[in-house]
Amino acid sequence: MTTAPLLQLEDIKMNFGAIEALKGISFSVGKGEVVALLGDNGAGKSTLVKIISGGLLRSSGRMTFDGEDCSFASPADAKAKGIETVYQDLSLCTNVDVVGNFFMGREMVKKYFGIPVLQEKAMEDVVAKAMANAGTRIPSLRTNVEYLSGGQRQAIELNRFAHWGGKLVLLDEPFAALGVEQTRRGLDMIKRIAAQGIGVIIITHIMTQAFQVADRIVVIRQGIVAGDVAAKKTSPDEVVRMITGETVLSAAS
Amino acid sequence: MTTPRQRATAEFVLDHLVWFMLAVVLIIFSAFVPNFFQIGIFANIVEQSTFVGVMAIGLAILIIAGHMDLSVESVAALTAMITGILFCSRGIGLGLTLTPEWLVLPVSLLIALAIGAVIGVLNGFFVIRLKMNAFIVTLASFIWVRGLVVAISGGRSAQDLAPSLRVIGIFQILYVPLIAWIAIGCFAAFSFIMTRTPFGRHITLIGGNAMAAFRAGIKVDRLMFIAFAMAGAIAGLAGWLLAIRTSGATANLGIGMLFHAFAAVVIGGVSLKGGVGKLPGVYAGVLLLSSINTAINLMGLPAHYTQVIQGLLVLAAVLLDTLKLQIRQRFA
Repeated sequence: MTTAPLLQLEDIKMNFGAIEALKGISFSVGKGEVVALLGDNGAGKSTLVKIISGGLLRSSGRMTFDGEDCSFASPADAKAKGIETVYQDLSLCTNVDVVGNFFMGREMVKKYFGIPVLQEKAMEDVVAKAMANAGTRIPSLRTNVEYLSGGQRQAIELNRFAHWGGKLVLLDEPFAALGVEQTRRGLDMIKRIAAQGIGVIIITHIMTQAFQVADRIVVIRQGIVAGDVAAKKTSPDEVVRMITGETVLSAAS
Repeated sequence: MTTPRQRATAEFVLDHLVWFMLAVVLIIFSAFVPNFFQIGIFANIVEQSTFVGVMAIGLAILIIAGHMDLSVESVAALTAMITGILFCSRGIGLGLTLTPEWLVLPVSLLIALAIGAVIGVLNGFFVIRLKMNAFIVTLASFIWVRGLVVAISGGRSAQDLAPSLRVIGIFQILYVPLIAWIAIGCFAAFSFIMTRTPFGRHITLIGGNAMAAFRAGIKVDRLMFIAFAMAGAIAGLAGWLLAIRTSGATANLGIGMLFHAFAAVVIGGVSLKGGVGKLPGVYAGVLLLSSINTAINLMGLPAHYTQVIQGLLVLAAVLLDTLKLQIRQRFA
């Protein structure tokens, strides 16, 4: 493992008009490291995720990814550099089947006379294999996503990012609609991905999940980093105090 | 409880409902309308479906992409008029000739496609870059492009199209003129594009959830521009065919076709919510409307009834769309 971090954020600020959503965020993620990003509602977690994944352009600050300065104009840019994102509000097209969603934006094609033609059978095989590996059961991969349950949908998204990998994975509340067993599988999947040297940032509200997977816990409060500690050296209680701001208060008094 | 097989059957019927409707209507008309059941009538239905059909392709693609294009009818009228003015020898026609003579065919076609594409790109610019509502933007185009047709023609008409062009409207294969085969060819080609190529897949994805498509790295804006340009170019083609069929153009050529195209698209199973619909279904919708038209003519009913029936058909199609959803949910 190299010492240089995979992703380094330095003093990232984000303004929406007069509102300062992020007031200077600095932290880093190493290769193969799982960082849990915690914070109360409105602390700025989702804004931060959007900045890293190319959905928003930061107002100021420096972002270094894989050793080079980065500004992503679009999610396509971030993806091209190897950043995969699973969003809180699902990013599936419900009018298309499972295979179509899995390969969204990077369909397998074969050219006939210069015309790219979708390779449905080959894509279906890949999806079937990925789903089987992850232990996800979906009756038919040709079913439109609109007829699937919330859990199945989320499973598709998780399997999608696991399959495509990349260098860094962002997960914004990935287990919100999952059952107990699926959540366990999801957490295992995250560990497996990290073991391959891929950096992971996971946003969650559930403390136990954070402690189950994370190497490090970063707490954001009112647009600043209120805590950045190794998961082994802290406790859920302490993290809760960071989230609510108690530790800051006690330090001040 | 339903078995997977029952479910598959139900899905198949729901997906191809318009074809069943077309079959039923044709059987009923053949049985009860005098003189309906003959090859000439069927060929005529196919021929009548040419212009509305071609126009409906572009309209359907944009609706599947989650937008709208009301300008197709006027765009077709404009390209018909320009083809007429350039290559007609009487009326306001300039009677342009090229050597060799057959060159008129590709040149006039390219002009028509280019004009259509330019108006499509204009529509796209307002909708995509300026984020204006597609319904309003293309409604405006529907009005100003028709205005342009009247303005450049001065309300007069062009007649006697170059013979090398007219050949396409006259030459027949299996009782059906070449122009109708071109329409069928377009449906085949664009059906292929929509279902088998990444472009078509991406258009469908955008219509379903543009945000998700954007996040997945699909260049949404660029594809939408192409879709608008394509719808315009296809409407241009419809106008070119129309000019050939009528051997010229009048200022009011094609009026009312938008609503037929729209009705066909809806009857054909394209959802106005976007993301759902198949082009072969749209063609079946066009054939269905033409069949009803023809039957009304044969029965000697006043033509006014056609419009009443078509209006009711559109209503029925939307009702069916709603019912389909409910049936699907029961099977899912």
